[in-house]
Amino acid sequence: MKKDEIKPNKEELFVNKHIQPGDERKSGFEMKLNFLKAAFLDLFLVFYTLLILHRVIYYKLFLNLREIPFSWGQILVVLLVSIILGGLWTASRTSISAKLFGFAKNTPFSKWSVEISSWIIFDLTFIAGWVITKISIVDLFSSEGISGANRIFSAIFSPSFSIFDDALFAIIETVYLALIATVLSIPPTFVLSFLSARNLMKDNKISFALYYLLRIVFNFIRSVEPLIWAIIFSVWVGIGPYAGMIALLVHSIASNAKLYSEAIETIDQGPIEAIQATGANKIQIIWYAIVPQIILPFLSFTIYRWDINVRMATVIGLVGGGGIGTMLMQYQGLARWHEVGLIVLMIAVVVWIMDYLSAKLREAIF
Amino acid sequence: MLLQLKDLNKQYSSGVHALKNVSFNVEEGEFLVIIGLSGSGKSTLLRCLNRLLEPSSGSIIFMGKEIAHIKGEELRLLHKQIAMVFQQFNLIDRRSVLTNVLTGGLASMSTLDSVLERFTPLMIQQARKCLQIVGIEEKAELRADTLSGGQKQRVAIARSLMQKPILLLADEPVASLDPATANSVMQYFEKINKQFGTTIICSLHFLSLVRKYASRVIALKDGEIVFKGDAKDINDVLFREIYGDESSDFEIK
Repeated sequence: MKKDEIKPNKEELFVNKHIQPGDERKSGFEMKLNFLKAAFLDLFLVFYTLLILHRVIYYKLFLNLREIPFSWGQILVVLLVSIILGGLWTASRTSISAKLFGFAKNTPFSKWSVEISSWIIFDLTFIAGWVITKISIVDLFSSEGISGANRIFSAIFSPSFSIFDDALFAIIETVYLALIATVLSIPPTFVLSFLSARNLMKDNKISFALYYLLRIVFNFIRSVEPLIWAIIFSVWVGIGPYAGMIALLVHSIASNAKLYSEAIETIDQGPIEAIQATGANKIQIIWYAIVPQIILPFLSFTIYRWDINVRMATVIGLVGGGGIGTMLMQYQGLARWHEVGLIVLMIAVVVWIMDYLSAKLREAIF
Repeated sequence: MLLQLKDLNKQYSSGVHALKNVSFNVEEGEFLVIIGLSGSGKSTLLRCLNRLLEPSSGSIIFMGKEIAHIKGEELRLLHKQIAMVFQQFNLIDRRSVLTNVLTGGLASMSTLDSVLERFTPLMIQQARKCLQIVGIEEKAELRADTLSGGQKQRVAIARSLMQKPILLLADEPVASLDPATANSVMQYFEKINKQFGTTIICSLHFLSLVRKYASRVIALKDGEIVFKGDAKDINDVLFREIYGDESSDFEIK
């Protein structure tokens, strides 16, 4: 190789970077592809707008129907209309998508069309949301509503201490349930976090595949609420604190493994290089160069997870996960609001204490 | 001959060509200093020598053996024989000075023993001796992050001594220290070179230090060797060639 081939002028390199073929003039194929994408997007936007106009605005708001009539025929008609309208809109090069993909006409009408249609879509979405949520100012402030609120608040604010002993035991159960779920989550999370840290796993293909698999699994587990895990496990191991504990455990492992592995990904690489340079093996590198750097964040995350778990444990109780939540559900079912008041009060106090303690502990660590 | 480099090239996946046809030999007992601007390839060169990086092409013969592309257990044994000291010290901040020095001996321990931190009394004795060589044995029980920069670098040197290295690499070991501390740290390298006959390859910025400690100098510019020889042969013309026209003499000299 010639010398000047290896070493191009720095300025030349800099300029070359910015000039890329197709940057100024898009190729014909790319244009067609963009037009097709825009046509689909416009079709979707028109279809969405017409559907809301037809089903929400017309049936629900205008005719005030309880049961909205449904037939595939109607939907098909709406779709056909949208295909025609959307196609025309894209072809006229005045649509939102034409603007997005950069081939809109530069005329006042084109700008007006994009602006107005954007507003219409946004407003219709908001109105549809309002109607679907059944928002009603009347329900909130009707005399019937107010008296109901009065009844429940006055009961809750005069809690009945007759069930104090039971509630105390139930809430202790909740705290311990959360504690066990947190403690049991530590060893598996610790191991899994190394396997799901990008900087440790990217070097070879098998480990990188494992990294991706673990990330996907963790994301899936985290996206399913602990409440749903509790329902699953209450069928599996029977209703009670055990099911609630496993639900929290599963969720804690998936959530903390992500946090832990992110802590591993941001550590200082220097000590790793240094320990590697002494001839240490992989496990020794992890133990001496990585673990000392991550032990405090790990501890902090874990304490915080206990705090979160206590809060979640009260909710999980509602679906039979044991503890104070189960008790709350029983008394709520019986409409014994004074007892519910006590339970809510105790949950509030315990959550507050946990919050305070975990903050103090985490402060002390750092 | 201890080390022989021939046509060594290193191109990063980003496309940067950090080393271009670098060739030189190192005799046993030398104190070789590599100079050059930041980005001239000094760090890349040192990391290729102990194979923290794999060169793209060329050969590295260390003690009569080709090491340019070795892997696994062989590579680990090479790491054990070649110690390295870094600009940022790279100590384990939260552990004691003694533990930091002991990590230099990890390669000769079983994985289980090292994870349980069962260091033999002999190893601990050796570690204390290494600390004694760099003159900070009284700091052995302190946490590494309580030390000053110069002390940290001395601990790093003690850690490298713990390996009983055949070759000691130092990547700008005094670049983040003040001039007085830099000189005292360099004296420990000289001591190791003279007393134990350990071969040292060290990258430096300051020519004053180069003249004082180097037995031979190699200058790198844009990944190529532009000078090989004695430190005192670096005249003004060469100086400009290596450091560029804008650099002022008093800062580096």
